[in-house]
Amino acid sequence: MSSRATNPVMRSAAWRISLWATLAFAIGTMLVFAMLHRFVADDIQRRSDAWLSGEVEVLGDVAERTPKDRLYSRVVGEVAELASREVPNRQRPTSNENENDSVFFLQAADAGPVRLWVGLGDGSANLSAIRSTKAQQDIPFDVRVKGFTIPFRVASVRIADGSNIYLGLSERDELHVLRSLRVRFLTLWLASVLLGFVIVFYATRRMLGHVREITEAASRIGQSDLSSRVPNTKCNDEVGHLARTLNHMLDRIEHSVHQLHTITDSLAHDLRSPLTAIRGKLETALSGNFRVDRAEPIVSAIDELDRLTEFLNTSLDVAEAKADALRLTRTEIDLDELLRSMINLYEPCMSDRGLGVHIRSAGSVKVLADPALLHRVVANLLDNELKHLPAACTVWLALQSSNSMGTLTIEDNGPGFDVEVSRHLFEQRIKGRESRGHGLGLAFVEAVVRVHGGNVTASNRVEGGARLTISLPLWKNNEREIPGSLLLANG
Amino acid sequence: MRLLLVEDELEIQCFVKQSLIEAGYEVDTAEDGRAASQLAAKHAYQGLIVDLGLPDQDGIDLILQLRRSGVTSPVLILSARRSVDDRVKGLELGGDDYLTKPFAVAELLARMRNLLRRNSAQAEDATRLRICDLEVDLLKRRATRAGEVLNLSPQEFVLLEYLCRHAGRVVTRSMLLSEVWGMRIQPDTNVVDVHIYRLRGKIDSEGREPLIKTLRGLGYVLKGN
Repeated sequence: MSSRATNPVMRSAAWRISLWATLAFAIGTMLVFAMLHRFVADDIQRRSDAWLSGEVEVLGDVAERTPKDRLYSRVVGEVAELASREVPNRQRPTSNENENDSVFFLQAADAGPVRLWVGLGDGSANLSAIRSTKAQQDIPFDVRVKGFTIPFRVASVRIADGSNIYLGLSERDELHVLRSLRVRFLTLWLASVLLGFVIVFYATRRMLGHVREITEAASRIGQSDLSSRVPNTKCNDEVGHLARTLNHMLDRIEHSVHQLHTITDSLAHDLRSPLTAIRGKLETALSGNFRVDRAEPIVSAIDELDRLTEFLNTSLDVAEAKADALRLTRTEIDLDELLRSMINLYEPCMSDRGLGVHIRSAGSVKVLADPALLHRVVANLLDNELKHLPAACTVWLALQSSNSMGTLTIEDNGPGFDVEVSRHLFEQRIKGRESRGHGLGLAFVEAVVRVHGGNVTASNRVEGGARLTISLPLWKNNEREIPGSLLLANG
Repeated sequence: MRLLLVEDELEIQCFVKQSLIEAGYEVDTAEDGRAASQLAAKHAYQGLIVDLGLPDQDGIDLILQLRRSGVTSPVLILSARRSVDDRVKGLELGGDDYLTKPFAVAELLARMRNLLRRNSAQAEDATRLRICDLEVDLLKRRATRAGEVLNLSPQEFVLLEYLCRHAGRVVTRSMLLSEVWGMRIQPDTNVVDVHIYRLRGKIDSEGREPLIKTLRGLGYVLKGN
């Protein structure tokens, strides 16, 4: 269940939109932060450089003015010690000032040993590190000292006796400030990116939910009735506009379908009333007249009249079906059952004409269709076989169901379709040279199957004879009922 | 039995009335809804035949109006519309029936008879039908002619049963198709005739009086008692 449920979510447009929006937001904020970070780092650097340069000047001054006697190292050392207590950006004051490892003071000539050292250790490592760094005189520079993971920032000044004074400041505090800045930013960034994703996802999903409702309603309307409408949201946004546009379109479609119905109905009405009157008169004449020679013309007139009525009905059905306006009363139909009762009706007539019939069916194949129309479709096909097959031929009816379609195949080993009409089989008025029908049969079959969401193909078999295949979408019981369609199930 | 026929097309009204009278009914006619209401108020009719396309009002509205004024008799609706109105289907559930134009007179009579019988609640629960020397046992699903058992398929038995129930009256092909096979189709081949020929071959074997008669252009009739 869960894997089936997540897949549609990950395939949904809402998921993709929120993914891209979040990505853009994340990259944007990251860039802004990178710039800020750089600015803050530069600023901290600049401040500590200013302090270093100032202090090293002072120390240089003190060193120059202090006589080079016994007290020299003590005086200069004291001053350096004092200076190191005013380190900027200090995060945590060390409890023991003597173990201050963030600052060092060093005096040394260009070559030779350390002359004066204030700091942790003996300073030789620092001196060799400074000497191995090529640096300009007046600008503070970075020095990596062996034994320390964090580099020192070092400012130097040359004093009159030719020696150099170096003041070094560990970048530890500076790096610590920047690191805590990064950690805080990343935490907040992650939280806001996640929150942003969730908000965008739900907002888009809600929005697209309306679109999905509209789609579902529209497809329901497509297969059932034209009178219902897609749900109208009260919002005045694009989705609301879409719903209103669709409903407006449906109004117009319904109107034109209604007009078509009115036209076909009144045409049918205007023709049927006189037909009824004529038929009634003929019947009255027939029942009062038992002379066979007189009765024959009346009988054939009644037959012609019935064929005319059937023709009228079928042409109007085909016209409506072609305009997708055929009125359907759908109900669940088992094609297997339908086929067997049809064969039950047609078999005696077929065997009288020397035709064999075989059914191959694997059991029930359920479709949702108009029973009266579907009966007429199958009757039409069997009538065709009866009318066109020479004696001693065989008709094979096969019923199969694949994953979503039920397929009825009707084959024979007769002469097959005329080559010149076979490309236009499903058009009205197309019939073989020998045919006595009105040429509506297959057009009707195709039109009815198509309004049920299926399709028809016709071809000649390689081994001779005709093959006609009808596919209809299968009806599954667990599918949602189409409103109003089962109400009239037994009509 | 007295019937009211409401039909504005005089030619149709004329032959329907004629056939109903021949079938033994008394018939009053009306050409519009107003006249029909007046007649229905004066007389108690056992059945009504109403055309939907009346000049002054819709047939359905007339029926609803009559129902409201206390008329409970069954109604046979005549419709020239192509598909049957949903409202007609609603009425049909209430015990009425409909027939689309053009129709065979035999079918109109059969449907009217059905409606009247249903309404008078005379359930035909006979288990045995007898026409001349033909006997149909509905329980054992067995038919005999002059004591001799007829070898009928289940389908042929249902067909024979239907013919016997309408013995002496014309049965059309479309009646047989809809009642025996449950299909409203109009095949343009002689599928129904072949079934009748086969049945006749078994019932009216040589030397016996033929019971099933073909009325060309009308349908079939099984000889009545």
